[in-house]
Amino acid sequence: MTAPGEEQPVTSGFIRSYVITNGRDLPDADGFSLVTLVTIAPDREPPARLSPELRSVWDLCSGGYLSVAEVAARLELPVGVVRLLLTDLADQGHLLRRAAPPPAQLVDRKILKEVLHGLQRRFG
Amino acid sequence: MTSLVQDPVFWVLIAVTLVALAAVLRARRTNVGLRKRNADLHDERGTLLGKFDELQAHQAGLRAQFAAELADVRSDAEEETKSVLKAAMRTLQSLADEQQIVIDQAQKKYGEDPQILADLMAIDHTNSQFGRRAQGIAVLCGGWLGRRESVASVYDVARSAQGRIRQFDRVRIHAQASFSVVSRAVEPVAVVLAELLANATKYSAPSTPVEINIKAVSKGVCLIVDDGGLGMGQEEKDRAAALLSPAAPLTISSLGNPPQFGFAVSGMLATRYGFTVSVDSVSPYGGVRAVILLPDELLTTEAVLPPSAASRPQGPTPIQQPPAPQPVAVEHPESPAETTTQLTPVSDSGPGPMPPVGTTAGGLPKRRRSSPVAVVPPAQQSTPEPARSNQETASLLGAFQRGTRSGRTTTTHTEGQENS
Repeated sequence: MTAPGEEQPVTSGFIRSYVITNGRDLPDADGFSLVTLVTIAPDREPPARLSPELRSVWDLCSGGYLSVAEVAARLELPVGVVRLLLTDLADQGHLLRRAAPPPAQLVDRKILKEVLHGLQRRFG
Repeated sequence: MTSLVQDPVFWVLIAVTLVALAAVLRARRTNVGLRKRNADLHDERGTLLGKFDELQAHQAGLRAQFAAELADVRSDAEEETKSVLKAAMRTLQSLADEQQIVIDQAQKKYGEDPQILADLMAIDHTNSQFGRRAQGIAVLCGGWLGRRESVASVYDVARSAQGRIRQFDRVRIHAQASFSVVSRAVEPVAVVLAELLANATKYSAPSTPVEINIKAVSKGVCLIVDDGGLGMGQEEKDRAAALLSPAAPLTISSLGNPPQFGFAVSGMLATRYGFTVSVDSVSPYGGVRAVILLPDELLTTEAVLPPSAASRPQGPTPIQQPPAPQPVAVEHPESPAETTTQLTPVSDSGPGPMPPVGTTAGGLPKRRRSSPVAVVPPAQQSTPEPARSNQETASLLGAFQRGTRSGRTTTTHTEGQENS
């Protein structure tokens, strides 16, 4: 019999990801890409029985739009698992999502130069 | 008289008498001899019987000694086997634990691809079962399970146990109580519950669910596992009861081959950590009802830190500026009061206006931009230039001067000369 002091610490994750998904098939990336923005629809009350992970998603997303990647990082869960949780919330109608904003359209450098020259001619 | 003497019959009678006399004498002598011999033999028999008893006693003594020595040798061998197995299992346990961490990381790394993630989950599932087996054998050999660093809610302990068995998707958890298990008992309770779940799923039809009910009782918290199998006979119940409250340390060889160590492991852990396990009642579905009773000593109302709050680098300090969006509270579904932990506001990094830092003279709110906005992409990287020598600096300044001069002149006839 070993002394209690010999007890090694266990550091691996306590709840396994397949338990969180309960062995269900994972959704494709179509619905939620990494940069899809999600938030809980306004004025929603969380259902009485939410799993701790769904609850965390709910609380995290009720403050405003967050990207899927950020939700996954905050919850320290694989993106695929978070995607399933978000799909659940979306299926129940609690979730608003919007595609990521398109990358900013940069103004043509030539136009800027012309404006600069015009200003210089006018005021310079 | 003469006639009598002359009668042959007379002589015959005398002869017969003499012979008879001789015979009688002889018989008497023989008799005496035999009696003596009989007495001798009797004595001898007595002596021998005494010796026999002595020998028997001696043999019994030897037998007892032999049995004691055999038991000693057996227990020595058992101890030796156990310590060897324990050391071997310790290696396997830590390898399984390490592997689980690697799998965790891989799941986060490749979690975007559903197919890879599904495969990683399958590996994870197998590894968890492997780890549970290693833990079980370690416990039977007097080893330890490993200790969790933090408390866990009873619900999470149940889910962790669920993840350690093959048919985990048949398990349904209903929590009517929200307590946390103290850190030292987290792993043992999860292992015992996993063993009970493994039995429940193994000995019931594959289509039937196995239920875990978590209930608060006056003595603590009960974890009740109900299956819809055939139940156990009295003999099996007796055997289980003996294993679940072991009076003496178990021998490995008594577990049978293939070994059935679920109850044995449960019994040893329950005794060591001070909770009780029983399997003697019948579930509402006709199968076995297994009950783990956790006493108050193993329970706590301490908050369970969610991973996102526990391991955030900046620590759990919520920003409390008034217009900042509401801080997020992460809590357990059934225990809002006990497990509330605050996170930083989500919109810290999300969209939304920054709080005003003051007002302009005209009364408009002044806001500070949270990050520089670049409309025009930088033409070149703004990496620091390497230090220049004086000559280089002088030539650069000269070039600049020449450039400005050439820009001011309308004609460019000097350019060729400068360059020559």
